[in-house]
Amino acid sequence: MNPVRRFFDTHRHHFEPGGRLARLGFLYENIESVFFAPAAVTAAAPQVRDTLDVKRYMFLVIVALVPHYAFGVFNVGYQAHRAAGLPPEFGSVIAVGLKAVVPMVVVTYAVGYFWEALFATVRKHEISEGLFVSCALFPLTLPPTQPLWQVALGISFGIVIGKEIFGGTGRNFLNPALTGRAFLYFAYPAQTSGDAVWTLLLPGRAAPVDAFTAATPLSLAALTESGGIPQAWAEAGYDLWTLFLGLYPDAIGASSTLLCLVGALFLITVGVADWRIIAGDLLGVLGTAAAIRLLAGPGAAPYLLLDPWLHLLVGGAAFGIAYMTTDPVSAPALPRARVAYGFFIGALTVLIRVFNPAFPEGIGIAILFMNCFAPLLDELELRWRLKRRLSHVR
Amino acid sequence: MDRLHAKNGFTLRIGGRPAATLDTPAAPRRVAAVAGRLPFLKPRLAVKPGDRVKIGSLLFADKRRPELRFLSPGGGCVSAVNYGPRRRLQEVVVDLDEEEEAEEFPRLDEAGLQAIDPAELGRRIVAGGLWSLIRELPFREPPALDRRPPAVVVFLDNLEPFHPDPRVYLAGRLERLRFGLGVLERLTGRPPVVTACSGGAETIAEVAPLLSCVVAGRYPAHDPGVLLYRRLGRPEERAAWMVAGPDLLLIAEFLQEGRHPTRRVIALGGPGASPPGHLEVRLGAPLAELAAGREASGESLRYVAGGVLTGTAASADSFLALPEKALTLLPEGARPGGFLEWMLPGRRKPSYSRAFLSSWRPAASYPMDCNRHGGIRACIQCAFCARVCPVDILPQLTYKAVLAGETEEALAHGLLDCVECGLCSLVCPSKIELLQALRQAKEAFRAEMD
Repeated sequence: MNPVRRFFDTHRHHFEPGGRLARLGFLYENIESVFFAPAAVTAAAPQVRDTLDVKRYMFLVIVALVPHYAFGVFNVGYQAHRAAGLPPEFGSVIAVGLKAVVPMVVVTYAVGYFWEALFATVRKHEISEGLFVSCALFPLTLPPTQPLWQVALGISFGIVIGKEIFGGTGRNFLNPALTGRAFLYFAYPAQTSGDAVWTLLLPGRAAPVDAFTAATPLSLAALTESGGIPQAWAEAGYDLWTLFLGLYPDAIGASSTLLCLVGALFLITVGVADWRIIAGDLLGVLGTAAAIRLLAGPGAAPYLLLDPWLHLLVGGAAFGIAYMTTDPVSAPALPRARVAYGFFIGALTVLIRVFNPAFPEGIGIAILFMNCFAPLLDELELRWRLKRRLSHVR
Repeated sequence: MDRLHAKNGFTLRIGGRPAATLDTPAAPRRVAAVAGRLPFLKPRLAVKPGDRVKIGSLLFADKRRPELRFLSPGGGCVSAVNYGPRRRLQEVVVDLDEEEEAEEFPRLDEAGLQAIDPAELGRRIVAGGLWSLIRELPFREPPALDRRPPAVVVFLDNLEPFHPDPRVYLAGRLERLRFGLGVLERLTGRPPVVTACSGGAETIAEVAPLLSCVVAGRYPAHDPGVLLYRRLGRPEERAAWMVAGPDLLLIAEFLQEGRHPTRRVIALGGPGASPPGHLEVRLGAPLAELAAGREASGESLRYVAGGVLTGTAASADSFLALPEKALTLLPEGARPGGFLEWMLPGRRKPSYSRAFLSSWRPAASYPMDCNRHGGIRACIQCAFCARVCPVDILPQLTYKAVLAGETEEALAHGLLDCVECGLCSLVCPSKIELLQALRQAKEAFRAEMD
């Protein structure tokens, strides 16, 4: 017999009615259901049900995020070594990366799980697996230097205000991970924005070596006043391959466009992410950037003239598109509304990046903004569909 | 001939398809008329235990609609009247005599059919206790006797796993089918719309000329509700009648022979049936006797009267109800999943989604059971239900309208077009009982109309 099974079977009686921990029965069942699918059977037609459940659905998102964690651990250590002027020796790079990333992940999951378990126990419902996705996404959007207490505060805000007060996963209208991220951005801008926060400094160092550029490609793009932005990136050591692979100072695991591409294709293949949202996103980013470029004409600020597709190589745009916009709960439900939703997110992202110097990155705000409009887009498509539908009662 | 390609839908890859064999189980010693699984019925008893009845004697009828008569499927002595929860009549059991007597009804031949008054024809079907085999859309209840439907749809195929194969149940009964179609034409004053599914009844050479429409597509493409949704424009045209092919044979047999029919062909299928196949059975036979000797060993089985998706769980002590054409045996599956099984690639997990490896190399069939396969969650808007819905309802939004009591909104969504196929509940990863919600809303609206 499986030892985990035996463990649950031996301790079950404490949690059953009359046991000394009977009040925590919900928690016990919640934890058991993580390891063993419940034995419940159907009570009404249809008598059989699909083998897909929400647990599996959400788990696939986490599978897609695992490479980002591997990359994030590497990149945090790699940038730290570059900033210290040390050769990036693999073992030491990974050690530095793990030391920075693992505590953030542990804190995020512990605090997130605490809130979810608290609400689940009080409301007597099961723990929804959406939590595990939110907690997997959240650290990847943070700078590696974020203090742990802020990480805890951010995920608390994201889970409680972004989700639980509306009733939990499925009833939230904002993306919980982004809600927490936005909270930190506005509450603690000193630790969440600027050029300094994106690079971890090795112990004993007060500043990076002179040869190291701490500026992110996005802030370089916003600051470039003459000449082409690609040249400015190249001078800072960011050629296009470096940008595509994501090997520059940025949020922990969000910088790699390559991994976002792989993850998005994976999620579309397994049917978790809707390609319509991603298509809308890409259309919005590329179309808006192209339109700005066309209208600006020669001689305008370099950011206005940036090649549209380069927007996808830098910052969190690719990460947001692959994992945040495709969250089905905070996106609209209907197919055309989803394309429109994606389009507006892409368009807003480019507009914020190019025209608003206060926000180097626009995608997080753009997604939260469009989350609020998702029901409206649904309503518009619904009305359009119902108008075309014949009804029995008219 | 009209050809229609039905959109959406989903074909369940479940094991236990009945072979095209036809066996006859041992004759039962008792039969019953079942009321419990007919949701539209409010029965009033006409007999009491100990009464002698013949084949075709009245056992019970509906309180409000006396045309819904249910006659004894056998001759003998009423041995039990069984009640279910809230003292709802379940069934009236008749112990059979060695030599059964039968009530005699007037016979009808081809010439008589051409001459008979349509109202009289309707009254004969009512007298024979078979009016409940005709159903009216959208509520799928027996129609009022005096109503003239805009159309009558006779569907010969049923794609739900598993229903009788027309190649089996029509074999040697083609004349009877033609007579039945003539009956419907006489009764309603218009030729019935006869439908089959591509690859189904249309492949029978003698049947093909009778067809008016062949529907291609996945389950539930056979359902007349899908045809009406796709083909007929005006709302009033959708209040059509529907009759299943096997049921039409019963009506025709009764009118031709002048006796309440006693036998029909059913499909015995599902992963718990070994071997699955077709059976020619007594109407009202005990379910346990139908499955006797053909139950897969090893696990407790659930008896489902009807198909896998729309059928009702029934006790093994129950009996075959008049409109039921299938008995499905499903393993109960009431055991927890394996250790972290949900993380595995899932080569043997049947799913509508592409979330398991099985989607890439699907097996011909899977041994499915009644396990729910997951906990109940809030809707996550995966939109699978909207993608399988054959009549373009958006169940993920409609059920919210239903739960909020917004009947008007649910109706505008197409609630009444719902063919109650069960696919939305089947595919839901949050295990929401969408079919139940939509069905109950339809019933509540129906009750409002009275």
